[in-house]
Amino acid sequence: MTDVMTPDPTTTIDDQVDARFKKVRRRRIPRFGVLFGMTFLIVLIALTVLADYLPFIRSPETGVKVNGRLQSNYKLGPGYVAWWGTDGNGKDVFAKCIYYARYTLFIGIASTAIGLVVGGALGMLAGYFRGKTDRVISILVDCLLAIPALVLAIMLVSRLDDIKAEIPFLGWMTRLWQIILTLSILAVAPLARIVRAQTMALREREFVLAARSMGAGNSRIIFREILPNLVPTMVTVAATGLGILIAAEGALAFIGVGIDTSWGFMINANRARLEKAWWATVFPCLMLFLTVLSFNLIGDNLSRRFDVREAAV
Amino acid sequence: MSIGSPSNVTQAATREIAGPLLELTDVKTHFRTARGLVRAVDGVSFTLERGKALGIVGESGSGKTILSRSIMGLLPTKGTERHGSIKFAGAEIGNKTRKQMRGIWGKEMAMIFQDPMTSLNPLMKIGDQIAEPLKIHLGMSKDDAMATARRLLQDVRIPEPDRRLQQYPHEMSGGMRQRVMIAIAMACGPTALFADEPTTALDVTVQAQILDVIAEQRRDRNMSLVLVTHDLGVVAGHTDEIAVMYGGKLVEKAPTRRLFAAMKMPYTEGLLASIPKLEQVSHTRLNVIPGRPPDLVNPPKGCRFAPRCPYVSHKCLEEEPPLTVTPDDPAHSYACWYPVGSPEYHEAKARIATSAEAN
Repeated sequence: MTDVMTPDPTTTIDDQVDARFKKVRRRRIPRFGVLFGMTFLIVLIALTVLADYLPFIRSPETGVKVNGRLQSNYKLGPGYVAWWGTDGNGKDVFAKCIYYARYTLFIGIASTAIGLVVGGALGMLAGYFRGKTDRVISILVDCLLAIPALVLAIMLVSRLDDIKAEIPFLGWMTRLWQIILTLSILAVAPLARIVRAQTMALREREFVLAARSMGAGNSRIIFREILPNLVPTMVTVAATGLGILIAAEGALAFIGVGIDTSWGFMINANRARLEKAWWATVFPCLMLFLTVLSFNLIGDNLSRRFDVREAAV
Repeated sequence: MSIGSPSNVTQAATREIAGPLLELTDVKTHFRTARGLVRAVDGVSFTLERGKALGIVGESGSGKTILSRSIMGLLPTKGTERHGSIKFAGAEIGNKTRKQMRGIWGKEMAMIFQDPMTSLNPLMKIGDQIAEPLKIHLGMSKDDAMATARRLLQDVRIPEPDRRLQQYPHEMSGGMRQRVMIAIAMACGPTALFADEPTTALDVTVQAQILDVIAEQRRDRNMSLVLVTHDLGVVAGHTDEIAVMYGGKLVEKAPTRRLFAAMKMPYTEGLLASIPKLEQVSHTRLNVIPGRPPDLVNPPKGCRFAPRCPYVSHKCLEEEPPLTVTPDDPAHSYACWYPVGSPEYHEAKARIATSAEAN
């Protein structure tokens, strides 16, 4: 669509009207919520990725020194030297928050990705083939949903250590990957459920029948006709799910079964001194809160946009 | 290349084998439901010659859509019972599995659906949707397929085909989309085209254009057409033969001209009478066939139309009329004890007229 003011002679009036509508739609400012969420996440990701090169972010491993003396035992409050103060070991809370975002975001994205692939595949199989396939998958998914998520996660993480010790080729499974695996199992169930419902609706649509009447086989119908139409739903659920998974990761770290390089771990380590040194607890909390909030705001906006009803999440 | 000539000349070469293209013998399609067995199609037989157009007419629930999907083999397998024989180009296809049918779908038989707004994949460009079957069924290269797709769009009279190839379905009107559906169905040069109410979802002005495009493609490609509709006006100008369905059964079948001139079934008469006429004063009450279509779980004893037939007599309620051929035209058959024009029919008509006067 070209400029509306000088219409292309080959376009019809309909096209010009279309073009005008498109412009109007594009000009609309996104809601404050999604704008905030996007900005926060973009800034956070940029800081996280560039943390090694940015002069104002210290290394989280070396303590903050003033005049050559280590500022341990929560000596520095939020201020010019260390923006968000120092923690019990004299480390910069701000630097820690930024560096730990790497782990948090990586865990969230990786487990969502695994959940999307596995849950999406299960949901599509169940919704498309129905019958016995559906029954088996549905029972599995219902069982997963019935177990309290946190209990399942704690159980899995603590068991995975033993399993790792017994089976030799699982050496790559560090605590980080254990958490990712656990969280992706949590992500599978709701995704499988919503994808199943969507697939069931899509497979009855006429364009699927039309494709079949042209001789398209099951795999072609699933990958060319159904999967592309599932993308909006999956993206929406994934965005909201990411927030939930990040909160869950924080919770695991908080109760001590997660990784040490996590906001949740920071909160737990410093909460005993909350009255004297509030900054060491409050800022990681704030980061966790804002990150989860951002993902939720984006997820909400997407679901409004794509008209996705979230029955499962 | 002139507009309207077949896009794929080689496809027409195989069309010259003798014998009917489609031969149905006592085809039954029943659905198992909680209420009982639904006899959606209950013993339909007919033949369709190559290059001919057959219209299947009937009101909602008469089984016409199920019949066309039964022939295509597009019904869900679960809970469906299929009986009888369906021969396509001499080969039995009624008992084929979906996997076996896949070789026939698209290449030999294709279908156009009722609602063009929902029968195109909303996330695929028009060009890709037309080119896909070409690439897979005919093994064309991407460029060849696109060039053919462009020609197909021209064939179905879509202006600016190059631009349209790059568009998504939502950028097009209903009429345009139905043309695209026709182009997709035409892509692999099928020998038989099933059009399931192709114009029902469209504007009246667009309806005629779509029907013309279908007719043109049929002529150019020497293709057989099965046109399913509830609108006698639609089939009148575009078919060689018309089959009227009622309650899952064929109740009358005749060459188009003859059906309109000398119909035998009171049901056909009722269908025709229900079309509003131009010469009528405005606000004339529309003619309707009273009652509803029969319950296909427990169809009425005797003639299925009897409960709604104005000329019903005792025999109609007791015995089911067989499909009989008219003495003067072997192509015309009907299932009625007292067909239009018989002495009993005139008698009943006179009786209705007098009782109407008495009121």
